[in-house]
Amino acid sequence: MDQFLKKNLSIISFIFIPILFLWHPNWLGIMGTQPYWPLFWLLPWSMIYGSINGLMVGLFLGIILDSLSIGGGFTHIPGLILCGIWFGRFRISDNNFVEHFRYGLLCAIGSFLCGSFYYFQFLIQDFQNNQFLLFIPSIKNVLAQVFLTGLFAPFLCSQLLGVFKRSK
Amino acid sequence: MLNIRRIYNGRWRHNKQKGILFIFLLFLVFVRFSKGSFYKDFYYYISKPFWPGQFQRDVIRTSLDQELLIKSKQLENDNNRLRELLSLQRLSDSDTISAAVISRKNGSWWRQIILNKGSKDGVEVGSPVIGPGGLLGRVKNTSFLTSTVILLNSPESKVGVWIDRVQTHGLMVGTGNDYPKLMFYTKDVDVKVGDFVSSSPASTLLPPNIPVGIIQSVDAKSNSNTTVNVLLLGKPQAIDWVQILKVEI
Repeated sequence: MDQFLKKNLSIISFIFIPILFLWHPNWLGIMGTQPYWPLFWLLPWSMIYGSINGLMVGLFLGIILDSLSIGGGFTHIPGLILCGIWFGRFRISDNNFVEHFRYGLLCAIGSFLCGSFYYFQFLIQDFQNNQFLLFIPSIKNVLAQVFLTGLFAPFLCSQLLGVFKRSK
Repeated sequence: MLNIRRIYNGRWRHNKQKGILFIFLLFLVFVRFSKGSFYKDFYYYISKPFWPGQFQRDVIRTSLDQELLIKSKQLENDNNRLRELLSLQRLSDSDTISAAVISRKNGSWWRQIILNKGSKDGVEVGSPVIGPGGLLGRVKNTSFLTSTVILLNSPESKVGVWIDRVQTHGLMVGTGNDYPKLMFYTKDVDVKVGDFVSSSPASTLLPPNIPVGIIQSVDAKSNSNTTVNVLLLGKPQAIDWVQILKVEI
C-alpha cells in the first residue's frame, strides 16, 4: 500500500487541485483573489516530464477547471496548455536559491498569461456590450493573482517537485 | 425695653413676609410667561430615574415588530392578489428551499457559490437565490446533490432591476469586483447616491421587489447612457445559508 502511495502520489495530488479550487480559502487571498492553484502542480510536473507531458496535463487541468467554473464559453485551457509547454522547456537547476526564485517568477508569469487569456476571452465575447466596464477590475484581479501565485510558488513548487521526483 | 423689642420684631417679620410674597409673585409671573418650562425641566430631572427602562422599550419594540409583520403580511396578500389579476409571477413561503453554502468563490473572475441542494431537492436552473440582505444571484447549473449559483457581481451576470424612486428599469452587469454596474440606456435618469435597487416588478425571470442593493456612486454620464455603481445588500462572502426560490420561468 505504501509503495502504491509513493508511486502514485503525483497522480493522487492531482485530484486535490480541483478541491483547492473549490475550497477557495479566503484567508489566503488578497481582495478576494486567490493564487492560481493549478500552476503550482503544473510547473514541477512539466519540469520533470517535459513539454509534451506539460501540454497534456495542462489540457486535463483545463477541462476539469472549466467544468468547475461557471463561465459559459470561457475556458482555462489555452493558458494552461501554453504554460505546460513553456514550463517543460526548463530544466531543474542545482542552485537551490536560484531554483526557488525561478519557481516564483515562472508561476507569476504563467499566472499573468492565464489571467490575460481569460480577460481577452471576455473582451472578445462581450465586445459589443459593456466590455469597458471590466477593465479596471480585470487589471486588479490579474495583478493580485500574479502577486499571490509568485509568492506561494517557491514553497509549494519545491515541495511538489520533491514528491514527483520520489515517485518517478 | 421688652415691649420696644417686641414691636421692632413684628415690623421686621411683617416686612419679610411682604418680601417673600413679592418674590413669590415674581416667580408666578415667570412661570406664567415661560409657560411652565421651569417646571417641565425640573420634572425632567427628578423623573429621570423612573423613566421606562430597557425592558419596557423591548416590549414596545416587539409590539411594533408584530404590527409591522402583520401589515407586511397584509400587503403581501394584497400584492399577490393584484399580481394574480395581472397574471404576473407570485411567490409564497412554500416555494423556497433552504441550502448551505459549501463552496464560495467571491473573488477574481469566477464569482460563484455552490450549494448543498441539487436537482434531487427540486432546484432548477435559473432559480433566484436570496440570502440575508437580498438577492445573491441565480442558479446556473445543478448536479444531483449540488447547485452552482452565479453571483450578481460575476462578469457573466446580467439582471434587470428597478429603481423605485424614479420608476426606472436598468440592466445590472457584474464586473468582476464587489460593485456591479447598473446601466440605464438614457442619459436623463435622475438617479442619486443612496437610491434603493430592487428586482423589477415586471420581470419574468425574478420575483418582484427583492432587495438588490443601494446606489453607491454615479459615473460620468455619456451621450447615450448613465452608469452607476451598486453596493449589494446580500454579502456572499459572509453568508452560510441561503434560500433558493422556486419560480416557474
